[in-house]
Amino acid sequence: MKTKIHRRTLLRGLISGAAVTIGLPFLEIFGHEKRASAAPDGLPKRFGIFFWGNGVLPDQWVPAQTGTSYALSPTLKILEPHQAKISVVSNMKVPGVNAVPHWSGPIGLLSGAPPLASDPGEFSRPTLDQVIAEGVGADSRFRSIEAAVQPGAMGISRNGPNSQNPAESSPAALFARVFGPEFVKPGSTPIANPTLDVRKSILDAVTSDARALQGVLGATDKQRLEQHLDGVRALERRIQKLKETPPNLAACNVPTPPKPDYPANAGRPPMSEISRAMVDILAMTLACDQTRVFSLWFTHPVNNTLFAGAPAGHHQLTHDEPGAQPEVGKILGQIMTELAYLLSAFDAVKEGDGTLLDHCAILCTSDVNYGRQHTLDDFPIVLAGSCNGALKTGQHYRAPSPDNTSKIGLSLARAMGMTMESFGVGDAKATTGLSAIEV
Amino acid sequence: MKSSGQAPRGARALIATTLFVASVASTACKSHESSAPAPVPTGPVGSALASPTGAQRLTRSQYAASIRDIFGPEVVVPSAIEPDVATDGFESVGATNSTVSARGVEQYEMAGLAIGNQIVNDEKLRGRILKCRPAAFDDAACARDVVSLVGAKVFRRPLTDAETKALTDIITLTGRSLASFEKGLAYGISRMLQSPMFLYRPSVGEPDPEHAGQKRYTGFELATRLSYFLWDSTPDDALLDAARTGKLGGYEGLDAEVTRMLASPRARDGLRAFVRQWLRLGELDLIQKDSKLFTTYTAELGPMAREETLRVFEDLVFERDADVREVMLTRRTFVTPKLASMYQVMAPSATGFAPIELPADGKRRGLLGQVSFLALYAHPTSSSATLRGKFVREKLLCVTIPPPPVNLNTALPEPTDTAKTLRERVKIHFTNPDCAGCHSMTDPIGLGLENFDGIGRERTKENGVVIDPTGKLDGVDFDGPLTLAQAIHDHPRFAPCITRRAYQFATGTTPQPLEEPTLTALNERFVAAGYRLKPLLRAIATSPAFRTKGAPH
Repeated sequence: MKTKIHRRTLLRGLISGAAVTIGLPFLEIFGHEKRASAAPDGLPKRFGIFFWGNGVLPDQWVPAQTGTSYALSPTLKILEPHQAKISVVSNMKVPGVNAVPHWSGPIGLLSGAPPLASDPGEFSRPTLDQVIAEGVGADSRFRSIEAAVQPGAMGISRNGPNSQNPAESSPAALFARVFGPEFVKPGSTPIANPTLDVRKSILDAVTSDARALQGVLGATDKQRLEQHLDGVRALERRIQKLKETPPNLAACNVPTPPKPDYPANAGRPPMSEISRAMVDILAMTLACDQTRVFSLWFTHPVNNTLFAGAPAGHHQLTHDEPGAQPEVGKILGQIMTELAYLLSAFDAVKEGDGTLLDHCAILCTSDVNYGRQHTLDDFPIVLAGSCNGALKTGQHYRAPSPDNTSKIGLSLARAMGMTMESFGVGDAKATTGLSAIEV
Repeated sequence: MKSSGQAPRGARALIATTLFVASVASTACKSHESSAPAPVPTGPVGSALASPTGAQRLTRSQYAASIRDIFGPEVVVPSAIEPDVATDGFESVGATNSTVSARGVEQYEMAGLAIGNQIVNDEKLRGRILKCRPAAFDDAACARDVVSLVGAKVFRRPLTDAETKALTDIITLTGRSLASFEKGLAYGISRMLQSPMFLYRPSVGEPDPEHAGQKRYTGFELATRLSYFLWDSTPDDALLDAARTGKLGGYEGLDAEVTRMLASPRARDGLRAFVRQWLRLGELDLIQKDSKLFTTYTAELGPMAREETLRVFEDLVFERDADVREVMLTRRTFVTPKLASMYQVMAPSATGFAPIELPADGKRRGLLGQVSFLALYAHPTSSSATLRGKFVREKLLCVTIPPPPVNLNTALPEPTDTAKTLRERVKIHFTNPDCAGCHSMTDPIGLGLENFDGIGRERTKENGVVIDPTGKLDGVDFDGPLTLAQAIHDHPRFAPCITRRAYQFATGTTPQPLEEPTLTALNERFVAAGYRLKPLLRAIATSPAFRTKGAPH
């Protein structure tokens, strides 16, 4: 794929919207050679995002002590069994203008860039999962996998402006996508199938249609079609892989199929049940090396999910509940319980001398700090997994003064084996990682 | 505050706030009964200036409708395809700038093949496109016949010879390699349905003979634009013929086609798409309501309530051709037994929807009394004066409400002995100057609807205290939902807002300042036509701006 860097640089160098500027500095990261994402033990490293909407209660979130011997905060207490395998990072600030509540945060944090000039609620650059997928995703069956727990939520993974990777919010659909008829178990031999060549020839034809259109359409449409062609190429790779025997992976098993659907209980979506079904599938998706980059969008920014036992929707409570917001606290408890389930499930998968969790770097975060006030300072961040020894865990690191969240993005990408010189642009640009979390 | 699970994409409107001056004087109170339609003025409306635009992706409903219109209404179109994205509140706008994801490409492949297989395996469906008898697995003449019949419909324009050959080749080569002409055909269909020529609506335009230096859509591009606007589906043969013969190039021919299209039953699908997008009724699939509190709530209520609203619009526009502002005041609606019980009226039919007149002495009337609006613009366990008021301001009056300032403590007091109603609890929204700027725009409207709870059931008391639904909308007093609806109906911004929303839907763009004169002129036509929607849609579809190909963005 010699053309890849040029192509995607072109793709993201153009911004849709009224005021078009062709930005040179786009994805300078891709100007650098990537390192192999395999860890020293030969097993792949994985990157993930666990995201929930509506923030935290800051005084319940930040642990009182710092360093390696610290007590988890009330909200984080439930992660105690995993304390040695996580880092809590505090006093990090999302740079930029807090113009659109619930959106300025994730846009600044995940893309390291200001929003689109024409739309302050839209990303101008790709999100961190896609930045990392660009470096490490090409070898696996899926470049990245996006899943959501909140019914119907699309997540916020972006390839660039107005370019979403919609999350799968049905466990059954995710299962079918990964472990359906086209799943080839690592180590097994595929069966010859003449339709694969037919499908390939059709995708060739689709590609020439897109190329013909690119020859006559405007810059934004060219770029949109290039994104479409990225998907076509991904599908071609997947078809090609169906002819190959994937390397054996001891930890890989087809998970139990989930239920066909997860109807609401008295109007409340069974968030825990859905989340666990998703996590079980994701764990094996990773263990079977179907992808090395995932995101689990537990809930969407601003979501008004009616959690079990809650007297009102989540977003409404974060604004309307007076006092110390105990009901918001209970919802955060439910979310952290599901994060704990994820960590346990990943840690239960033995890989080499460690576990799947040990081969992961998972960024756990939200859309704001304090939901009630939409703040972006002291952003809630937990990092889980050591990325096979590339990240320090078992600590609470508190920046001495508010520090740039882009440093975390840079550290994570580097931990995944990418040789990026910087992450982010403008005020958000970081040229050094956060040394406190790096090994 | 946004409560939905979908990405809110209205932020652009924050900058492009469109505080245009209404050109229409406030109209006198109209009778609820529709009178004889006013004679409709004709002729092109507005200037030939248009916003930059791009190739729209087919929305999910357009994808499904196009396939059914091309291959037959019996085709079951898979629903797992790339989701729509709304920009500035419209999927039609999001379709011009959003992309197809890698998962979307997979889904289009699976859907295309599923549709291809259905067609070749169903005698009736197959018979519609396969008129010859294949003599071999790779019968090229027979394959070419199918391509000639279907290709131009799928691509919405004549195929070039090279395209015909390439599509034919896929069928014959696949037929040969899989030893089945039908399998070759199934893959051939899937290949067409995966093409960006089908999945997008590409346009390059041609020099506009009437406006030097500008481009207008070619005949086939305009046909496509018209049909997805007015029908939410692909052009039919007559429309493609009109494009081929150049009939759409002049106003007379164009107007004749638009008139024919508006008279077609398919125009109802176009109206439904417009209303669904404008009022965000798609989100009714995802509402969450505490059914212990709202005992009538079940999962099917949201879609059912949407259907009610769509039927009311259909009735106003197509059955009665009435002043569409009547949607605020009409007592006529369509209910299922479940909705009837929520409205406390006799169910007119044991199953399905049937028309009723809501009681003349009741509080429930028009859009603001419908469960769709009342449940969508509310919280999972309560009503919301802010969400309802924001809906009225933004969707009906085209005023953008900015988000709250950061670092503001937004807590509301709990109900207490002295503050039992929402009106009492949101008082802080009016006394704190940080809140009052925006909440004084929204909350008084929503408080006028407090006689309807978070799911749309009527009530007179909250926590034992009689609800006070009085207020003022831009200087007009109201004493409850009925007079509030009247105040919106009479508001000088209401009709221009309908015009603006219809234009936004039609063009797939958020109007730029250069289009304001066209919007003003279109609204004048709308007013002159007695606020009937069909003349407005006709005026938009035949306007020079709609035919102008804006610069590519």
